[in-house]
Order: sequence, then structure tokens, then C-alpha cells
Amino acid sequence: MDTRLVVGVDVGNSTTEACLARVGPDGAVTYLGTALKHTTGVKGTPENADGAVAAVREVLARAGATVGELHTVLLNEATPVISGLAMETITETIITESTMIGHNPATPGGEGLGVGVTVPIGELLGDGRDSERPVIVVVPHGWDFDDVAATLNSAVRDGVDVVAAVLAGDDAVLVTNRLEKRIPVVDEVAAVEKVPVGMLAAVEVAPPGRTIRTLSNSYGLATVFALDPAQTRQVSPVARALTGNRSAVVIRTPTGDVTDRLIPAGVLELRGAGKTLRVEVDAGADAIMDTLARAQPVDDVHGEPGTHVGGMLAQVRDTMTDVTGQPASEIAIHDVLAVDTIVPAEVRGGLAGEVALEHAVALAAMVSTDRSRMQAVADQVAAELGSSAGVGGVEGAMAVRGALTTPGVDRPVAVIDLGGGSTDAALLSASGETTAVHVAGAGELVTKLIASELALDDREVAENVKRYPLGKVESFYHLRHEDGTVEFVDEPLPPHVFARVVVMTPDGLVPVPTRHTLDAVRRVRREAKRRVFCVNAVRALRQVAPQGNLRALDFVVLLGGSALDFEIPDMIADALAPHGIVCGTGNIHGSEGPRNAVASGLVDAYAEEPG
Amino acid sequence: MSDRREAERPSVVIGRHIDAFPGVLREVCAGAEEEGVPTRVEPAGDREVRDAAALAHSAALASGLEVGVGIDAGGIIAVHHAKLPPGAPAHVTSPGAGPPDWRRAGQVAARIVTGLPIAP
Repeated sequence: MDTRLVVGVDVGNSTTEACLARVGPDGAVTYLGTALKHTTGVKGTPENADGAVAAVREVLARAGATVGELHTVLLNEATPVISGLAMETITETIITESTMIGHNPATPGGEGLGVGVTVPIGELLGDGRDSERPVIVVVPHGWDFDDVAATLNSAVRDGVDVVAAVLAGDDAVLVTNRLEKRIPVVDEVAAVEKVPVGMLAAVEVAPPGRTIRTLSNSYGLATVFALDPAQTRQVSPVARALTGNRSAVVIRTPTGDVTDRLIPAGVLELRGAGKTLRVEVDAGADAIMDTLARAQPVDDVHGEPGTHVGGMLAQVRDTMTDVTGQPASEIAIHDVLAVDTIVPAEVRGGLAGEVALEHAVALAAMVSTDRSRMQAVADQVAAELGSSAGVGGVEGAMAVRGALTTPGVDRPVAVIDLGGGSTDAALLSASGETTAVHVAGAGELVTKLIASELALDDREVAENVKRYPLGKVESFYHLRHEDGTVEFVDEPLPPHVFARVVVMTPDGLVPVPTRHTLDAVRRVRREAKRRVFCVNAVRALRQVAPQGNLRALDFVVLLGGSALDFEIPDMIADALAPHGIVCGTGNIHGSEGPRNAVASGLVDAYAEEPG
Repeated sequence: MSDRREAERPSVVIGRHIDAFPGVLREVCAGAEEEGVPTRVEPAGDREVRDAAALAHSAALASGLEVGVGIDAGGIIAVHHAKLPPGAPAHVTSPGAGPPDWRRAGQVAARIVTGLPIAP
């Protein structure tokens, strides 16, 4: 055999990678260069040809070679993997009859506890009111702080026992600063007109740096409103909802309540191991994953029609049907990953836009098929380039082969490919056999968890939070990184990032629209990565490891886009360390990092057995 | 304000053109007061034809908290920090601004002092 120029092409879910090499007569391989392009179409379909051709042309151009010199193009045997995500909120907080106001405004006024009957400010100075009872004044929109203070002062001089106030506008401090008698004042109550009039209520404002003590305590509420044990039991959710606030209002109405309702989220049906198991989605992620483990190997998963999860599973199936032309009945979902999450949601019946942290279950599903159309891609590539092209090997096997070019790696070696929609693992045993699996849940699920837990509407911001470290702008001229180091800047930082938690993207600082502290955002980010990638790394390795025993693995090489993440490889290495595994980010050919494993694996396989 | 101790108390300084509508000043002061930050007003002479940003920057230089507000004759408000370049104030109201925007300008000044986000 003479010296041949070959290109290995790996069509992935999001990127298409090419590796150019010269294979000598003795099978010696000289790597000449690599290229990276976006994948065109769904992986494993004829649309991939455009991206593959572009990658081949680019790698040739970089090496100064021409298509005419090319001996052959080697493609991976890639099966389409389609993934879907759904989120089902399983709890809901509802306030009935405007029982409480617990939005925790930034600047309440005064401090202490006031208990009295709610009276609109317009009726405060009228005739025929009961001047004996303590009064909580309710101030609608449109009242100026000077007028409010003057009215309250004059009422107090007239002998009205004003004990607290609830304001629509943001001026509690302005009003209390002008009062002759100090009272607690809660402001920014947007729907103040819905506050029931003539009802016994309590307003509490804690001193700066403290949280309320009476209204967040069930027995405090019982004392204030003289409740019997049955009534106390009924108001205890109110106390719980107000815990941690600096200010709050509780209104005693005949049947008003705060309820924590469980939303029926439907049933998930898992078929496998000759059984059909059913699990309620609202039972939570642990119950779902336990049931999944009992149905291994899973043949198919169905969701209840009309639920988010049911809709998502059906959609994943439909997409695969469209892509492969296989009937939906032949397409099976082999894996799901359920993750418990907390979603901030506006409370129904709230007067001031209160937000409660609701429980939710996020579910990722994945479907793969045996029916690949890579030969069609190869034919099209051959036609366009005018060279020969063929399917050179199965991607899992090629990935481990490529991973072996990482310095310090030996057989048996396992690879984990951290992708967008699925996490893939493959094992190359000492005797040369390969096993490969795909499990559901990867980078996109991490982004979704970050977006929902931080209530970020913009997916792009959530993606940035996932990919880059955080910082806090502390002045116009300095910012503190998440590890505590401080950086001074020469040019003043723009006002829109002042005092904000920001993401340190390569394009500059991007503010995170949240009231959370840097530490809280960082915790959400790391937990999302841990619950998806660390959990999936272990899950996937168990499926390829001999007898599911992780201790039987020696070397684990991390590949794929997420292996370039600034913390995921360390987190996975930490998670695998107790099993005595050497784990690290791959460095293909000692120079390419975690990229190009499959493409170079294709070249190496060809060099061993030229087709 | 004639009390010397009062003058030395760290505060946001408001440089106000004497022709500015008094309602603007009231709302700016209220915005800062709601955030718990003291203010001090220094009227600027009518002969000095200066824009809000220039008024705000000199006010910031005179402020113990290094934060100043400038209100020009037309009622435009600028909020400045002493360490920012004079031509680049932290916040400027638009010409059609109303009382809520004036109040917000005072709030922005206070928040630069307290280190809270100033963007809406």
C-alpha cells in the first residue's frame, strides 16, 4: 500500500468534526489537522452531508491539500438520538380571601407589631366610625406621602388609635419619617384595593437585619387573633409562608386560608424486564428513578396524555418518526432522567406579587434508533467531493479508540461523552470489545434547571450562567470574582451592571436578572450540573462496566463539548474518585483536548485495516 | 443646614439650578430618603449655564459620599459619582420625565451609595 491521505468525519448532535491524516504503507499515521463545523440536520440523516463536506473542505484547506489528493472520507456510523425536556410543577400555593401579604418589600417603614381593624384612609376622618378600636390604615394608589402623614397625624391627634399602615406606593420610610407616632408600615402592595375592609389584621415590621417573630409563628398568630387549636392548625401555613420575611400583613377573614395544593401531574408508565410499572410524576424524581431502576433494561416509556411529560414523550417519538420514517410504534424511549427542582412561581390570590417556591419535576427523555442512514450521507459526500467515501466505524468504538491517543491512557478505557441532549458512555475492554450506551439528560437539561430555578426568562442568560464563572460588581471600578479575588478595572463599569451579580462571558459582563446573591446563583449552577452530569456519568458507566461494577474500570476519559466546561470535569472526577478510577478530560493526540476523538478513531481504525 | 455639623454629615449632594421646578427637587429628595440615605441641597447660580451632568459631577465632588445629583434649569436630572468621568453620569432622566422618574433618580443616587443595583 502507498501513502494515503484520509479524512475521518464525526457527525455529532451539534458539531461535525474532521481529522486529516496521512497513512503510510506500514500503517503509520501522521495527523495533519482538524476542523469543526455545525452539524446540518439531525444526526444520522442525509442532511448531514453539507456539514460533512464543509468540514472536509476546511481541514484540507488548512493543510494546504486538495480534494484530488484525497484517498477517502471515513464517516462514523451514527444513529439519530433525539432528546426532549419537560417540567411539571407539582405544588401550588394559593391565598384565599386575601389572608396575608408577604412580598417582603425592600424598604418597609417603622418597626414593631400593630393589631387592629382595617380602615381605608379616606374614611379615617369621617363621622360615625368606632374610635375605640385600634386601626390599621389602608392607603390606595395616588396618595402623596406628605398627605398620608398629615392625615394619620391629624387622626392620631383626634384620638384615633392608629397602630399600623399598609400602602400601595413605595413610600413607607417617607411616611414613617413624618409621623408623630411611630408605627410599622408595609408598602408596595400593588393590589391594596383587595385588602378586606373592617377586618381584624396584624402588621409586623422587624428592625433592619432581622426577620419577623410573631406573624411567622403559629402561636404568635394564635395569640394575636385569639385562635383556638383548630383555628391555629388552619393558619399554620400562613406562618410558614411568612418565615424569613422582614415585614408581613395577616388579615383574619372568616374562611381565608393559604393552601399548599398538590397538582396531579399524571402517571409515567415504564415497560421493561417483562414488567409494566407505573409511577406518579408528583411522587418526585427519586420515586421515578427507583421505578426506572426496577424496570431495567427499559423497553419503552409512556406519559399520560394531557400532561407536560406525556406531551414531551409523544413529541420525542414524533420527531424520531419524521427523521427516520419508522412508524411511531417501532420507536421506543429507552431512558429517562428525572430531577427534582424548585421553581419560583407567583402565588395565586396574592396582593403584592408574592412568590412561593414550588416543587417541580424536570424530565429528560431520549430515543435512539438502529436505523441509520449514514451510508446515504457517505454517498452524497462522495458525489459532492468526487472522491471515495464510506462508513468507517461505529461512533462509540471510534470514540474509545480516539480516547486512547490521550497521553497516559491504556485499555480497558471508558469514555463519557458529555453532550447537549444525551450523555454517552463506551467501554473498550482489554480484549478489544466495545460496549456503548446513551442515557437521557445532558447540557440542555442543566440550562433548563438553571433557568427555572433562577426564574430567568431568557434562555441565553441561563446558558451563560452555565458556561462561565460569576462575579459581583462592587463599585464602578472593581468587581469580585466568585472565588473571592478582586479585580480592578481601568475603564468604569457601566451603570447597568452596578452592584449586580454578573456572568464573566468572553464578550464582557452580563448581568443576571435576579435578587439572589452570587453564592445562591453559584449553588444553583453547581447543583444543576451535579444532578445531571455526575448522576449520569455514574449511571452510564454502570451500564458499560463489567457486572455494573465501577471498580472494574481503570481509565475514564471525558469527551464532548461539556468536557471543556470550567468545572464539570472536576465535579465528575470527584464523583468517581471513591471508585478508584483515573478520570480526566481527554487530550486527543496530546493536543486536541476533548475534541476530535471519533474522527481520529476513524483514521486509526482505517490505518489498521485499510478498506 | 446652617448648622455646621449638619453640613459635614456625609450625604448625597444635590446641585440644583435655581430655575428648576421645585417639584423635581422634592421627588429627588424623597427617592433618596425612602432608601435611607441623607441628602443636602446646594443651589447653583443662574449665571452659570451648566447642564445636569456638570452640576451632578461638581455635587459629587462636594459630597462626602462621592455621589451627586444635578438638576438643570429644564428639570433634567443627572446622577453622578465623583470617580466617574465628568461626561459620563451614572443616570440621566429623559426630557419627558415625570414625578416617578424624578423619584427614581433620587433612588438611584441613594443606591450608588448603598451598593444596590440601580438598573430597573
